Amino acid sequence: MPAVITAPVISVSELRKHYGEVKAVDGVSFEVGRGEVFGLLGPNGAGKTTTIEVLEGLSKPDAGTLSVLGLDPTRHAGQLKERIGVQLQTAALYPNLTVTELITLFGRFYDHARPTKQLLAEFGLDERSRGLTKELSGGQRQRLSVALAMVNDPELIFLDEPTTGLDPQARHSLWEQIEALRGQGRTVLLTTHYMEEAERLCDRVAVMDHGRILEIGTVAELVGRHFTERSVRFTKRDELSDAQLAGLPGVHRVAHENSETVLYTPDVPATVGALLDLGDQLGVAALDIAIRRPTLEDVFLELTGRALRD
Amino acid sequence: MSGLMRGLWPLTLANVRSFYRDRSALFWTFAFPILFVILFGYLFSGSPSNFDVGWADQDGTPAAAALRQGFAQVPLLTLHEVAEADALNQMRDGTLDAVIVVPAGLGGALQPGAPPPTTPFSLTVYTDPSQQTASSTVAQVVAQVVGGINQGLSGRPPSLAVDSRPLQTQGLSNAAYFVPSILAMALMQLGVFAAIPLTAQREKLILKRLNATPLSRATLVASNVFTRLIIALFQTLIIVGIGAMLFGVTIVGSPLVALGLVVLGAMTFLSIGYLIASYARTEDTANSLASVVQFPLMFLSGIFFPIDFMPEWLRPVASVMPLTYLGDALRQVMVGGAAYAPLGIDVLVLGGWLIVSFLISARFFRWQ
Repeated sequence: MPAVITAPVISVSELRKHYGEVKAVDGVSFEVGRGEVFGLLGPNGAGKTTTIEVLEGLSKPDAGTLSVLGLDPTRHAGQLKERIGVQLQTAALYPNLTVTELITLFGRFYDHARPTKQLLAEFGLDERSRGLTKELSGGQRQRLSVALAMVNDPELIFLDEPTTGLDPQARHSLWEQIEALRGQGRTVLLTTHYMEEAERLCDRVAVMDHGRILEIGTVAELVGRHFTERSVRFTKRDELSDAQLAGLPGVHRVAHENSETVLYTPDVPATVGALLDLGDQLGVAALDIAIRRPTLEDVFLELTGRALRD
Repeated sequence: MSGLMRGLWPLTLANVRSFYRDRSALFWTFAFPILFVILFGYLFSGSPSNFDVGWADQDGTPAAAALRQGFAQVPLLTLHEVAEADALNQMRDGTLDAVIVVPAGLGGALQPGAPPPTTPFSLTVYTDPSQQTASSTVAQVVAQVVGGINQGLSGRPPSLAVDSRPLQTQGLSNAAYFVPSILAMALMQLGVFAAIPLTAQREKLILKRLNATPLSRATLVASNVFTRLIIALFQTLIIVGIGAMLFGVTIVGSPLVALGLVVLGAMTFLSIGYLIASYARTEDTANSLASVVQFPLMFLSGIFFPIDFMPEWLRPVASVMPLTYLGDALRQVMVGGAAYAPLGIDVLVLGGWLIVSFLISARFFRWQ
């Protein structure tokens, strides 16, 4: 055991929240450490937003023990709100205020606020500072929304599906902003249903479905826990018979997907080496080999039996 | 800063800015009532060509009779001989448009050869300033007649003067009747239609987003109320200003009491607006509900015509409508109109609506 254990920034135990008959959150437990970017990953309706809103002090839990920055969000919501940054799933901006006016307005709600100019520069909103928020593009709106969450210089930031509905360029730009937050040592809890986003941004991920957490870990851990095999794939060549391929070292299974042959193996170097040798022997030139490791998408499919974005 | 004050003024400023950048809100709040004032003003401003004036002769000398002769020659006036007290009562009833009192002593003061008076002898003239055409016509005629006499006695300092006294009457000019009515209507619409931005802010999750900051809900509500009151004051200035400039309707009562009534009325209808926002889930629903609610509020109240003109069976309905009482109170204070109910009752009824609607919306309003 290390001598000094930093208390987790967020600690949730057996959280439950019901809306009538619907068990939106049904016994969720996890911890988030200081400086960590933690992702709640799951499809719509998995309970991600409900969980995050209870932690933000926006709604009350039915049961469970909560601690956020050492405070109980149900009892010390006021104190907590001073120290956290919140971005809601929908941007929630006054349509007829300018970017500068809105950032300055939000600053006035806190004891300590960062200068508006600094935030405009940091989130690339300088050029639109005098524009009304209703005239912003989707990407600019999301950046403004995150900038508003940063007004009070928070230690902990909640981002609820920050890049949903953005085009790829805007999404990448926002990812850079979120990576910068991690660089500043802030703790981030984000929800997403994009695998790529979770894989790129999150130190650890909790996979949620139907109000429960199915697995928690780093992306590599989650994948490794469920899949020991990688797939080696190449365009199908008639010279290579399935029987020959199945006999290569490490190969557990041979499959065909569309025009591709797929070999499943836990030992990629041995399999690929033998495959190239076999090709040489048979005079099959230029095999276009691709190696793919399973992704969170595959983990999700494995855990729930369905794809994430159904 | 903490508690209620934190963020109050910045949020109010933001609300006011959001309001004046919304063209349709600007139209309904300012242009619409102004159009109403102008339209009503010109539709109903046909002025009478003859005025009934009470003649109270307390002097009884030939000089007074001569003076009467002078006034009787003016074709605009019809003189009626009455005692002063009766004359004033008849004027209050609306039978007489003005009253001229000739105090005892006129004959002595005007007698040829009498020593020039150190101060001129005064005729007392009662007019109702809210009856603009009548009061200005009578004032002009009196000034001409008195001026003529003073000239006729040239070589001496002016012997006759006029002591003008305002008298509030029941017979209001059309303009004086509808300017407070339109102000009441505008305040009603301002409050009832406040449901729309509030519902929109909830629908756009702005209320929820604000709830994620340390801003308190009391501050949020207070800021909304202040925003509407600021707009209400602008509305009042504009409507009263247009009424005064175009139709000569001036405030005869206490401006402070009038201001208090504007604030009370604005808050009463704002509570009704919040009631609508408690019920409506979407901005569109709020819009339709507010439109539907405003019509009975407007036309089943006595703001555009006296309640006595309504069919018997409709009067009880009008007698519970808050707009009836706001219109009544504003008319009493602004132009000295006849009371439908005592001012205290007006205030009580408005206050009752305010408290009941506020309590219901406080109970049922959903923040998200």
